Amino acid sequence: MLTFDGFKAGMRRMAGVALFGVPFGIAFGAAAVEAGMSMAEIVAMSALVYAGAAQFAMLQLWHTPLPLLSIAFVVLAVNARHLIFGAALAPLLNALPRRQRLLSAYLLSDANFADMQAARQSGSKDLGILVGGGFVMWLSWNAAAALGAFIGGTEKDLSRFGIDVAMAAFFVTVIAAPARRVSNLLPMGVAALVSVATLSLLPHGWNIIAGALAGGISGAIAGVIRER
Amino acid sequence: MSADIAPWIAIAVAAAVTFGTRTLGPVIMARVPATRRVQQFLDSLSASVIVAIVAGYLARGTLREAVALAAGALAMMLLQKPLLSMVVAMVVAAVWTMARP
Repeated sequence: MLTFDGFKAGMRRMAGVALFGVPFGIAFGAAAVEAGMSMAEIVAMSALVYAGAAQFAMLQLWHTPLPLLSIAFVVLAVNARHLIFGAALAPLLNALPRRQRLLSAYLLSDANFADMQAARQSGSKDLGILVGGGFVMWLSWNAAAALGAFIGGTEKDLSRFGIDVAMAAFFVTVIAAPARRVSNLLPMGVAALVSVATLSLLPHGWNIIAGALAGGISGAIAGVIRER
Repeated sequence: MSADIAPWIAIAVAAAVTFGTRTLGPVIMARVPATRRVQQFLDSLSASVIVAIVAGYLARGTLREAVALAAGALAMMLLQKPLLSMVVAMVVAAVWTMARP
């Protein structure tokens, strides 16, 4: 289901995280101007692609002639983790009407996925939380990118205020709850090990997919053994 | 290809690929029977993907990030307040940077 109350709750829940994301958006806008993008292109890219890591990666390839195939592959590699998010949310997403499903998918990203997982752990099945959280993140990302493009100039040092660890710190707060369930410790440990072990072996970002799949499979195997 | 249109094609390609990654997960799972095993796989997957992100982040980072996230995790366990725990992690990281420039 997807309710307006959930949407409002999602916006409230993610407002603080969205605020910490603003410096990244500003840094992206400023870096995009340096890479030669126009204001209209920056705004369009942030609104339509709406994936911070992939957008930064695209800037590395932003020279004439634009290597479209390379851009497509890099964006696919960096964003392939969305497949895992979508699969994990599939029981809820597939119960929605088509239009709501597409809207939920469009606004699906790391932070509001993590927040939705936290909401599910406390019993909620309302994807309004995902969409509301995604919407407030989308708004702040676009506003920040436009602001960064406007003020441009020198890249701000995010580490000075610890802002660079904000997103990872948010993820840590989300895994704190499942880490307390003993049955989750094996898949989480396997995921961490495989993610680190494959970091230098796989293309950028695919260690996350390898780790997640290994964790998921080990969880299912542990289930078979437990119930025998 | 005209130079003015190329950036817009690149943006459209990136947007289409990204939207594809966002929609494909549920489409695939709709074709997989919802057995108890699949349920356990998805449950473990949800926690695992976030752990995999954090573990990769720590492996690429330095002691500073590890100490900051450990402080954030400790704060979360003691206080159960996500936003406050984030701030704790950020303060530790900021102080670390200030103390060792």
